[in-house]
Amino acid sequence: MHDTNTRPFSISRVAIYATLIVAMLVYLIPVVVMLLNSFKTTGDIRAGNLLALPTTWTLEGWSKAWSSACTGVQCEGVHGFFWNSFRMTVPAVLISTILGSFNGYVLSKWSFRGSNLFFSLLLFGCFIPFQVIILPMAFTLGKLGLANTLTGLVLVHVIYGVAFTTLFFRNYYVSVPDALIKAARLDGAGFFTIFFRILIPLSTPIFMVCLIWQFTQIWNDFLFGVVFASGHGQPITVAINNLVNTSTGVKEYNVDMAAAMIAALPTLLVYIVAGKYFIRGLTAGSVKG
Amino acid sequence: MAQLQLKDIRKTYKNSPEETLKGINIEIESGEFLILVGPSGCGKSTLMNSIAGLESLSGGSISINGRDISQVPPKDRDIAMVFQSYALYPTMSVRDNIAFGLKIRRQPRDQINAEVSRVASMLQIEPLLDKKPSQLSGGQQQRVAMGRALARRPKIYLFDEPLSNLDAKLRVEMRTEIKRLHQQLNTTIVYVTHDQIEAMTLADRIAVIKDGELLQLGTPKEVYETPANQFVASFIGSPAMSFIPITVTETDQGLAARVTGANRETLRLPLPQGLSPYLGRQITLGIRPEHISQPEAARIEHPLVTRAELTIEVTEPTGPDVIALIRLNDVAVHCRLNPEHPARAGEPTQLMFDMARTVYFDPDTGQRIG
Repeated sequence: MHDTNTRPFSISRVAIYATLIVAMLVYLIPVVVMLLNSFKTTGDIRAGNLLALPTTWTLEGWSKAWSSACTGVQCEGVHGFFWNSFRMTVPAVLISTILGSFNGYVLSKWSFRGSNLFFSLLLFGCFIPFQVIILPMAFTLGKLGLANTLTGLVLVHVIYGVAFTTLFFRNYYVSVPDALIKAARLDGAGFFTIFFRILIPLSTPIFMVCLIWQFTQIWNDFLFGVVFASGHGQPITVAINNLVNTSTGVKEYNVDMAAAMIAALPTLLVYIVAGKYFIRGLTAGSVKG
Repeated sequence: MAQLQLKDIRKTYKNSPEETLKGINIEIESGEFLILVGPSGCGKSTLMNSIAGLESLSGGSISINGRDISQVPPKDRDIAMVFQSYALYPTMSVRDNIAFGLKIRRQPRDQINAEVSRVASMLQIEPLLDKKPSQLSGGQQQRVAMGRALARRPKIYLFDEPLSNLDAKLRVEMRTEIKRLHQQLNTTIVYVTHDQIEAMTLADRIAVIKDGELLQLGTPKEVYETPANQFVASFIGSPAMSFIPITVTETDQGLAARVTGANRETLRLPLPQGLSPYLGRQITLGIRPEHISQPEAARIEHPLVTRAELTIEVTEPTGPDVIALIRLNDVAVHCRLNPEHPARAGEPTQLMFDMARTVYFDPDTGQRIG
């Protein structure tokens, strides 16, 4: 450490930074292109190249994408679909996370006959591709009377997410010493008291991991959205597809880019706010007793 | 204040072909300090968890003050436990850790506060009350863990190897503290340890457990001086007892055994008359370091005391005494000598054998005889 500080321009340091900068550029260029072009006029885009700065900066693309761009037959922008996505994602994330933490608690601290088998089967859920369950799920939602509803979409995401959230929480709670549970039981705490008073307060990092993971997964989902929702109920991912594919005359790349940015912002925000917990939660070892 | 009775406690774990506890019977008097001691995996922690109700029994019963509590859930047994890892709730302050059990039991707030300050002053942890467990040293965490147990004023305290995570100096300090606490409160304590010194210093009675069986239950003096069998004899005491194979022979002065030293010196060790049924047979002599010492005029006249000149192989001065290693019948034997006594490695020294205090074992069964 000391050595590298006194010689800041060693060859290895330069190499490390060069590699990092190249990697950063590779990842940033698409974002830069999107951002730059979302602030251009359509004429500007057609005249210049993709990487050039806008000749005139304008929010026209953003406002059109938000409130008046055509997604199929209606031309009301993506704002309605943006809120759809929120109404779908927030409950789905919360419900699946809460269920996962509860499952994890039971599987790690109150193992029952066959709990390991149960956990293994649940893990299976993490590896089932979306496409496989579309038909049976459509059938089930139809039977439940939830076809083409937001509730149905939330249900699908909760079911799909519980496998992951249970895995996260179970592995986190396994590292919590059993003696803690024993001590609480002798102190007179029951099943729920131990969960809410002892384990939940310990769970902030893994809650953050779960929230980020689930939020990203559910917000970014396209397949379930396009299959199990329709018309005004669709999430923003589907709306963007519709917006880009609706061709009435000139292709408005600035609007497309702005709409894509709007769709990407919430996940970006969640990661910025809770990101430090994400790393911490993933690497969290045992709790010091 | 409670009397605890363990009757024929049996435990077999699922997926395990062998019984972990093979019928343990112990009656613990009110106010008694009982120590369960044994090597790792002997079942002592399982026994303790069973008393607490954290493990179910496969057979037998546990009663407190004559009331069978085998089927009572842990929270209603009125038992508190101090864990090896302390198991302090990491998100709660020291104060909340101590008060947790009282809060769960819905005691009035002023009563809880009074109890927390009582316990805190008893254990001298008042300055720590608002800290989190992670901010405390090992010894402080240990005190808090004891405070949490004390706060409920339970009928019985269980200690599960509470000192094994502390460094040597702190361990001795806390040992004294626990003993003082017990004398102050006069409560029933069951204490698990694998440290025989802890067992000797703290216990009213010691229960030596091995492979799920109770080998001996007795006061530290009984267990030390009259061990039931060779395992107990070897487990209790440091340096450990030495075991020398000898043959019982008849001489003019009664029973005796001939043993050979490292340099072919032979010496005659007098044996008690109680060994006459074993005349002509081989038995095991159990001899503790303090049974071989420098000759003392007051003791040497005893008929079962003898002296001999033997070569010392190694000396280990400990301060108060010198542990010397000699060889008898090809077995390394420790002697505890006065530091004033001239003893140098490789040189012959006058030693006194106090055969009145040694013990004897049947070599086949390992049980004590004579």
